[in-house]
Amino acid sequence: MEKSLFRFIWKYSARQQIFILMVTVLSYPVVYFLLELPKLIVNDAVQGDNFPKNILGFDFDQIPYLVLLCFTFLGLVVVSNGLKFYLNVYKGRLGERMLRRLRFELFQRVLRFRLPHFRKVSSGEIIPMITSEVEDVGGYIGEAFALPAYQGGMLLVQLGFIFMQDPLLGLAAVASYPIQGYVIPLLQKKVIILSRKRVKNVRLIADKVGESITGVAEIHANDAAAYHSADISDRLYENFKIRYEIFNRKFLIKFLNNFMNQLTPFFFYLIGGYLVIEGNLSIGALLAVIAAYKDLAGPWKLLLSFYQMTADVSVKYQTVVENFDPKDIYDTDRLTSDDTVELEGDVKFDRVSFSGGAAGQEVMDISLTVPSGTACAIVGPDGSGRSEVLQLAAGLVSASSGKVSIGTHDLDKLTDATLGRQIAYVGGAVHVWTGTIRDNLYYGLRHRPLVPPERDSEAQKLYKRRVNEANQTMNPVYDLAADWDDLEAAGVDNETQLDEKALELLEAVKLDKDIYRLGLQSRFDPSMNDAFAEKILSVRKNLAERIANEPALGGLVELWDRDLFNASASLADNLFFAVPSDPEITMDQVPDLEEVRSFLSETGFDKKLQEIGLKIAETMLELFSNVSGDSGLLGSYSFINQDELPEFERIVRVARSGQQRPGLSDADRSRLTGLAFKLVPARHRLGVMTDELRDEVIAARKRFLDGVVKNSDNFVAFDPDVYLPPLTIEDNLIFGRARVDRRDARRRIDDVIRAIVEETGLRRPIIYAGFGYHVGVSGSRLSAGQRRRIALVRGLLKNAKITILDDIATGMTEDDKALRNGLRDILSGKTFLFGTFNADIAAEFDQQFVLDQGRISEKG
Amino acid sequence: MSLETEVEALRKVPLFHGIDETKLRLLAFISDRTEYPAGERLCSQGEEGDCAFIILSGSADVLVETPEGEKKVAEASENSIVGEIAILCDVPRTASLVAANNMDVLTVSKDDFLKLLKEFPDISLEVMRTLALRLERTTRDLAAARRGATGS
Repeated sequence: MEKSLFRFIWKYSARQQIFILMVTVLSYPVVYFLLELPKLIVNDAVQGDNFPKNILGFDFDQIPYLVLLCFTFLGLVVVSNGLKFYLNVYKGRLGERMLRRLRFELFQRVLRFRLPHFRKVSSGEIIPMITSEVEDVGGYIGEAFALPAYQGGMLLVQLGFIFMQDPLLGLAAVASYPIQGYVIPLLQKKVIILSRKRVKNVRLIADKVGESITGVAEIHANDAAAYHSADISDRLYENFKIRYEIFNRKFLIKFLNNFMNQLTPFFFYLIGGYLVIEGNLSIGALLAVIAAYKDLAGPWKLLLSFYQMTADVSVKYQTVVENFDPKDIYDTDRLTSDDTVELEGDVKFDRVSFSGGAAGQEVMDISLTVPSGTACAIVGPDGSGRSEVLQLAAGLVSASSGKVSIGTHDLDKLTDATLGRQIAYVGGAVHVWTGTIRDNLYYGLRHRPLVPPERDSEAQKLYKRRVNEANQTMNPVYDLAADWDDLEAAGVDNETQLDEKALELLEAVKLDKDIYRLGLQSRFDPSMNDAFAEKILSVRKNLAERIANEPALGGLVELWDRDLFNASASLADNLFFAVPSDPEITMDQVPDLEEVRSFLSETGFDKKLQEIGLKIAETMLELFSNVSGDSGLLGSYSFINQDELPEFERIVRVARSGQQRPGLSDADRSRLTGLAFKLVPARHRLGVMTDELRDEVIAARKRFLDGVVKNSDNFVAFDPDVYLPPLTIEDNLIFGRARVDRRDARRRIDDVIRAIVEETGLRRPIIYAGFGYHVGVSGSRLSAGQRRRIALVRGLLKNAKITILDDIATGMTEDDKALRNGLRDILSGKTFLFGTFNADIAAEFDQQFVLDQGRISEKG
Repeated sequence: MSLETEVEALRKVPLFHGIDETKLRLLAFISDRTEYPAGERLCSQGEEGDCAFIILSGSADVLVETPEGEKKVAEASENSIVGEIAILCDVPRTASLVAANNMDVLTVSKDDFLKLLKEFPDISLEVMRTLALRLERTTRDLAAARRGATGS
């Protein structure tokens, strides 16, 4: 990578830089003429004589001449500003493109790092380098050549003028330049060193903040917050010190510069005055020189700040780039090449040694052969070199001596395209990507875009622009919107078969039940799959019938009924008999929806709900005001949590004082209404639900359904014949609420649902719906065990010739044993390497190698 | 039924005699109100006890396993608390409870009951007093039984 910023700029934007320069030079005469014209207008047109004037063969009288000059002036203003605008946009675009190129290059280099390199760098340091640290480079690139050229030119012209007036005065004008040219870089050098220090320090801060976030549970568990606070505070102080130093230096440079600049007039007056008195210089010339010198200050100042910026940006560039140039970085080709070779044959280690850089991470002089199509266990405790051997076999790390090969191919010479597609590796520390379960399962099949999406002409145009930009900046042109799933590699013909295959594997690793449960809790869009929605509706009917006919079941659920009050559901559900179409809208936000607000005030329910909310708040305050916050009683049972208590205390006080002022604000009223909405009468027996109120709720419900829901897309009514997209699949199946006043009603009704779902063959589609479950940041919404199993299925789905598992399913439980048998079945006929610490488990395999302290100690 | 009626019922439970009303309201609020139709099990002998039952209406049969199958040994009636032993000390349920008729029950979970005791020591004191009385009575009964046994 280009070590210096200027080399980088020149290499990738020489043509554009020259173009910018040309346009800049072109604008010289325009600017010059623009400055000259006012003089011409005043001297020649207004105060001048000798009219008419002859221009290009036309005669002009005084007034037309004035008009002509003024319009020329106007035209030049337009041209010069237009040029400026054009240039600025051009420079900005160039800067952004170069920045994109730089950032992508840096990211690609991260992907090209060898795995052991990541022991030395942390994401906390890398991220700011790629994002914020190079940001300034973009703004600078457009100016890199044009500014010094333009301002330098200006400076030379002005200096030339002064020299022409009088060489001695010219010397006086430039007298301070050598001193400035010597002292300022000297000071700047110190600033550069400090800037480097600052950048590194900020990186360290970013890294520490990142680490604190990752390890936040550890911080609390060990009461180490003070230590980390002290650590960060210390770093921040360091940052302050460095910045303070930088300020001092920077302003010192400024001070010196200003001082020098104002020193020059001193010489002018002294030398110039002497010359004028002696009669060697006319007074007019002196005044002209002084005026020209004033114009000198502008370009000089700009040049100086440009110089400072250059120093600053260059050092930033260097401090970033030097981190992305490790000696052993992979070739770009390894990453981008799409050529694959067939990996057929035995896995062979020939006197392989490798060191991960620490004790317990090395293997020494290992020779082994795993015949093609067999299952082999690699046994050894952590630190025995087991994981390293398996990573070597997967081509993830390279041997420092010796050779790892499959068939006739040396793994070190193969590209990611071969290694990543034909070898499935699932290590002990799996990573689940932020996204859906489906994204994660099919991740191992997404190597290249395969089927481009269909685009209309408008979208095609946008896409073309995207591709064009990518080409301009050496970014890849892979189409993110394309279909990336490599069905052929997975051995299936279409998406449906792929889903089926994934399900098969999920069953094999016993993850199907979990996904089924997630599927029940997920929402799906019925417009995507009518048949599925139909089936859910038929199960709903089936369930309703059973509930009607079996009294034992009937007591567990209260179904939605337009004419009945549902005591196990919240007051909001009862009143609206509908749910917001957007499932993200919470109960607290509902009172603020426009249609709800107007409906409530029309029916007079707003006052009633506020009264109920007030009653609830009062009761809560009465019950819980003596309870200490840390008892945990408040959080789990009250509508109100500890933090909100004082707020509601105020609201109750204001409401009960009966005074008009200050009165309750709209927000307070909404809070009370929200509180009332959350009331579930069967659970919260606060005595606010009278029979009368029930009837009123049901009457109002009908008004809401007819008046609001029918005309608004924001609500979906509970309708037994319609699938309700905002509700989970499970809630759609039950179409009611499990009774809160019956013990275990929820669990018992779940069992019934499961049975019906199995009978009707709905289990599969529900699991597929579960594929759409969002796993949270890095799979945080899954358990560690679930994450491993998903990674395992991801590996198996690749259908690779060689499968390598490390520390997966290595328990002695019956479940794990069955899983291992299942894995051997699935992978029969393929090469299968299985890493474990347990010799008994290893005995289940055809062949085994035992590792001890990085060497093979016995062969089974 | 609302909290007020539940509080009325709780007041009749000897264990909660000396406890003032706001605390009883809190107890009622944090417990779950559940219905049991006749024949349904409230809990089974041997399983881990995670809650106590306060019977608001109806009654339950107390069943104990014997070699001849389950046998009714007692009946828990309205306004009594059952299953409180299991939530005070970690022992499995010593008997099964089956609803004899339609019941209305307040269920207090173990965690909440313990939190309540911690929060309001006077409730603890009252519970202690009741248990001590029971112990005293049991001891006396035992002594009487022993005297009877040696006397004959």
